[in-house]
Amino acid sequence: MAEERRGRGGAGSKTRGNGRGGEKGGPRRGMFRRRKVCKFCADKVDYIDYKDAKMLLPFVPERAKILPRRISGVCAMHQRKLQTAIMRARTLALLPYSTD
Amino acid sequence: MSQARQYELVYIMSPDATEQEVTDLHAQIESIITRYQGALVKTENWGRRKLAFRIGKHREGTYVLEVFTGTGELTKELDRRLKVIDSVIRHLCVRVDEELRLAERTRARREVETQKRIAKGLPVGGRSRRGDDDGGDDDQSDRAEV
Repeated sequence: MAEERRGRGGAGSKTRGNGRGGEKGGPRRGMFRRRKVCKFCADKVDYIDYKDAKMLLPFVPERAKILPRRISGVCAMHQRKLQTAIMRARTLALLPYSTD
Repeated sequence: MSQARQYELVYIMSPDATEQEVTDLHAQIESIITRYQGALVKTENWGRRKLAFRIGKHREGTYVLEVFTGTGELTKELDRRLKVIDSVIRHLCVRVDEELRLAERTRARREVETQKRIAKGLPVGGRSRRGDDDGGDDDQSDRAEV
């Protein structure tokens, strides 16, 4: 979380502020924001296996789209690996491309 | 080039395929692998599984995983063969040795790091340490923005 914040600072804090407000859907004053830590870093996962659909499932909610890391809090490196894994799993019909 | 390339091949056979067909295809693949001087490392039959979406008219299929070492020509040949066979409704062949080696290296490095920390008498494990750091940063930024 903290890292992401720092990284985005250069891009312009104005737009970021707007985006955030809309995301939370309300005033942020006095709201406790949960700390986000990369799940894979915390669990020390080195290799994200595309064959393990159960493990990938939390990252493709409802519409089966890949969960953006601004929401899941996954670090950039693991999000990249996760993406590859999800796309491979989709080829093998272990995960859906879309649901409606 | 120094080390053999390892591949993982997963193919889905149509649910109408009999046990015999599954074993036949496995034998066929094994023979192709040996013909190209490759070696079969592991094979796993996941059995019948529901597909996440329909492929053709099928809703489920028999999954088979083969782990083998070999060359690029071998995978090309396997790809070509599997495409032709009608009872195989989907297949995927990926090279895994590099990723696995990388994972192994990170794990080893972490092991060393842990040993060092123990030797120095420092608290072990990145999780709580990083968590605390994050917490501190987060609080600070919170206060700054509110």
